Amino acid sequence: MSFFGFDTSLPRDKPGQSSQQQSMFQQHDPFGGLRREDAGNGETLDFEDTYDGLGLKLDESGDTFNDDTFGGEEPVTRQEVGKDFDFAGQTARVRDDLLEEQVLHHARQPMQYAQPARPKKTGYEAYKEPEYIPKLEADASIWGKLSSSKKPAEPQARPDSSARKMMSVEEVEAMMRSQTKPTPPVENVDRQSQGLRDMLGVGTPSPAVAPLEQTRPPVQILQRPQQQQQAQQQPPPQQPMPEQNTRAPQILQRQHSPQQRPQSQDFHGQPPYPTQQQQPLQMPMGAPPVQPPQGHRGPMQPVSHNRGPSYNGPPITQAQQMMNMSTDEREAYLAEEAKRAKRNHKIYLLSKNNGLMTPQDKNFITRIQLQQLLTATGGVDNEPGSEEQLAEDFYYQVYAQIRGPPRSGPGQPLNQFAQTYLFQTGSRYGFGRNRGQLRGGDNHVQRMEQQVARAVEAAKARPKNKSLVVEGSLGKIAFSNSKTPRPLLNLKRADSESRVRPPRHTTVADRKAALRDIEHLYSTLMKLEDHERHMPRPPQEDSPPDEIERHIRWRSEMQALNQQLWEATKVMEPIQPAPTQPHPFISILSHPKGKKAIPRLFRHLEEQQRLTMLTLIVIHLDSLDVVRDAYPPADNTPLPGKVKDEVELFSQAVMPPLFSYVNETTLGILVGMLGLVIDRVHVQTILRTKVGVSILTMLISRAELVSQSLPSGAIVGSSGADDDKQQWSNLYSRLFDLIEPTLPHIFPTDTNVSAADDVYVWQFLAAMGVGASPEQQQRLVLGVKERVMETVGVAKSLMAAESMGGARPGGTPGGAPNGVGERKMGEVNLFMRSIGLDVELLG
Amino acid sequence: MAEAEEAGGANPVNEPLDLVRLSLNEVVFVKLRGDRELKGRLHAYDSHCNLVLGEVEETVYVVDEEEDNDEDNVRTVKKQSEMLFVRGDSVVLISPQQ
Amino acid sequence: MLFFSFFKTLVNHEVTVELKNDISIRGTLKSVDQYLNIKLDDITVVDELKYPHLSSVKNVFIRGSVVRYVHLPAAAVDTPLLEDATRREASQASAKAKQG
Repeated sequence: MSFFGFDTSLPRDKPGQSSQQQSMFQQHDPFGGLRREDAGNGETLDFEDTYDGLGLKLDESGDTFNDDTFGGEEPVTRQEVGKDFDFAGQTARVRDDLLEEQVLHHARQPMQYAQPARPKKTGYEAYKEPEYIPKLEADASIWGKLSSSKKPAEPQARPDSSARKMMSVEEVEAMMRSQTKPTPPVENVDRQSQGLRDMLGVGTPSPAVAPLEQTRPPVQILQRPQQQQQAQQQPPPQQPMPEQNTRAPQILQRQHSPQQRPQSQDFHGQPPYPTQQQQPLQMPMGAPPVQPPQGHRGPMQPVSHNRGPSYNGPPITQAQQMMNMSTDEREAYLAEEAKRAKRNHKIYLLSKNNGLMTPQDKNFITRIQLQQLLTATGGVDNEPGSEEQLAEDFYYQVYAQIRGPPRSGPGQPLNQFAQTYLFQTGSRYGFGRNRGQLRGGDNHVQRMEQQVARAVEAAKARPKNKSLVVEGSLGKIAFSNSKTPRPLLNLKRADSESRVRPPRHTTVADRKAALRDIEHLYSTLMKLEDHERHMPRPPQEDSPPDEIERHIRWRSEMQALNQQLWEATKVMEPIQPAPTQPHPFISILSHPKGKKAIPRLFRHLEEQQRLTMLTLIVIHLDSLDVVRDAYPPADNTPLPGKVKDEVELFSQAVMPPLFSYVNETTLGILVGMLGLVIDRVHVQTILRTKVGVSILTMLISRAELVSQSLPSGAIVGSSGADDDKQQWSNLYSRLFDLIEPTLPHIFPTDTNVSAADDVYVWQFLAAMGVGASPEQQQRLVLGVKERVMETVGVAKSLMAAESMGGARPGGTPGGAPNGVGERKMGEVNLFMRSIGLDVELLG
Repeated sequence: MAEAEEAGGANPVNEPLDLVRLSLNEVVFVKLRGDRELKGRLHAYDSHCNLVLGEVEETVYVVDEEEDNDEDNVRTVKKQSEMLFVRGDSVVLISPQQ
Repeated sequence: MLFFSFFKTLVNHEVTVELKNDISIRGTLKSVDQYLNIKLDDITVVDELKYPHLSSVKNVFIRGSVVRYVHLPAAAVDTPLLEDATRREASQASAKAKQG
């Protein structure tokens, strides 16, 4: 027992050394022995006073090579304690690494020692610990110091503890350096912890790898003995260590390691890291744990601690135990240790944030991430064109279909979508965008022109017919009494006298109501279009009944949606005789998006619904925004751009579907429609606007075409066709009379003739000319003669300039693009030919 | 047909953004952080108030600090854009423009 | 996802990204993600003299949150379709709000 050169006299000599007093708290002045010289003044305790002698109970079988290891028998005295230590300085810097290793070892234990009693670790128990916050004090154990948190317990355990000074490592070191200097006066706990903090303060990342290497092994083995101890806690404390397995001696030796000394009570109480939380769980197993062994070891440790530095670091026990090994074993052991250390370090790094999230948290995050990944990549389980993908990625999917897909997913539903947007919207030409590429509108104008031209040609091809018509119109008086136009439409006709034009400006509330109607219309429309895409395969005769049933269900749903759509258009809202605000449908039409909705919804409407819509538009012609707002200002200034845009949009979006419908309708309906125009609309007003003129042209040209194609000659007969024809010619005359006064003002005058957009007027004049009697033709020519001559003149000069400047690229001197002259001439000629003339005849 | 009833309910404005929906394809006035205002046709929006506006006129109010007198001269800079995406976190308000 | 979907159709188009610090960067839109982060190629800084530090950069990744505007080519935007996509998104959002 002269291992550390201490007096080995038994502590049981000392009175009052109860088992309680031998508690671990007694052993925590590692340097108490240093103050032996000062013992005389009573301020410090002599080592002899504190040594409980339990060390004697230790198995000493491992001492054999102590001398070899430690340099002989020479007892270590105070004088021989070297001063080349540096716990608070250099060593403190590697403290972190030491702690790390310590923690690592704790974490590793479960893997190395089967401990059946221990509950399965989940890694999150630490959170259940009330005092989970890692305690730095616990680490002081490495330095053989008692955690300050233990202090409160001390007074009871040791009445004389107040006399003892607890010193910080630095203090101790300072004291040892000065040797003869008396111990500093009593330091209180604060002071001590201050020292500890200082220590931590200097704990900058260790630059020295060597110290780390040296100190690591003891730290690693630190906990093993504890495990063993805990397994052995049952035997009475004073009993010698029972027989152990072959490793026992080593283990016991390890228990002597300096780091072991403070006992793991610190850890038990306050696990410095979550991974150590298993310790508290073990506590109950061996209730008054480990004190006795500590008691034995305790006193020795200060010595070993003191001596430590002179052996160039603590790995005494390691070295010692390695002495017991063969070279091979040792190498293997070292390699093993190194490997383990490395691995543990890795694990530690990885496990730094262990327990930050519960498994549920992790699951949740994973689900979110997966979801985002799916949507971001377009979806793994979402087929291209699937509903999910369409819902998330509608714009891209349909856009790709319409405009040269970057990747093509030729799905049937998508194609339908693309068709919807490509053809049905009729508004590819975005609003206010390049007006150069207005194909839809040009198309419409062309078709109108074609129709007018066809009417003109038909009139020319059948001179007899024409004369008959002319005769008929001349004989108007003869047939006038025969019939009154039968009402084709069940529309309540208000007295035109009582009709007041709607107020020009709408209130905010009206506007909002209209916008709401439009959005509702769009919602319904999109619902309908979606439903349309889901059409099941049309059933065959041999289809299974459920398929047929499905189709029937789809069909009835479709009809319901159709009805909803029709209601959403507000066309059937009652027409007020004296409206104070515009009809809801007309309000819808006054917004660009309302206009754009027309071509899309028109295709879903039934024949009767289309007719009703057209009729509603016609009887409200002069309250349409594109007519009302487009009336030429008195000062002949151009219309505001906004109004022009609206007019353009109306021509491109609303006119084509109406035109298509009119193109297939019968003369009877046309007559009824024109009758409504004459009765309910201020014709002179609408004639000043492009939309008004266009709609009249549309109706008149179609009426001319139909009436000319009808079999003639049977005027006397009472067939419906002849009735219609007769009504038409009556109506024509009335219309002509209404129009005639406005003829001089019918052309737009806000620009000069060469730049004028007046093709619609020439079309209208041509349509009127076709059915005109010679007398009416003359009146017609008289009304627009000036404009004809002017336009022909401008066209001729333009054409001359073009032919002259043909070699010159870039157009005519006038700045007009090539072909304008010719086009203008053609426009005028359309009218001229309708009345049997030609511009050539004008000379 | 609960759905139909709902749809028949004339599309009531339930949420603030439903009001913005009414302004789709309408000209709106947008006030932004940093003394900026936009006027343009609303083509798209989402719940973050990200917007796409067409035919936009941007007005930036720039304060010129004059050293002589303490008066700050507020200057307006106007910029045009044919199509503009506006990130929602700059948007202060969206208002229909008559 | 409306704007993510929208921006995907603008890939390989020339756009001008105006940042909240007033820098405007013109370039070809190469990619975009659901945060509307933007990658631009062949960039030029609009007011190069004022921001010379970007003059040597050829392509940039722009964090979505620093974007104020993106100026787009109008011809590449299908406005009726975009409006309908917006309506769909709005209906979905309100449907979700009702559920939740």
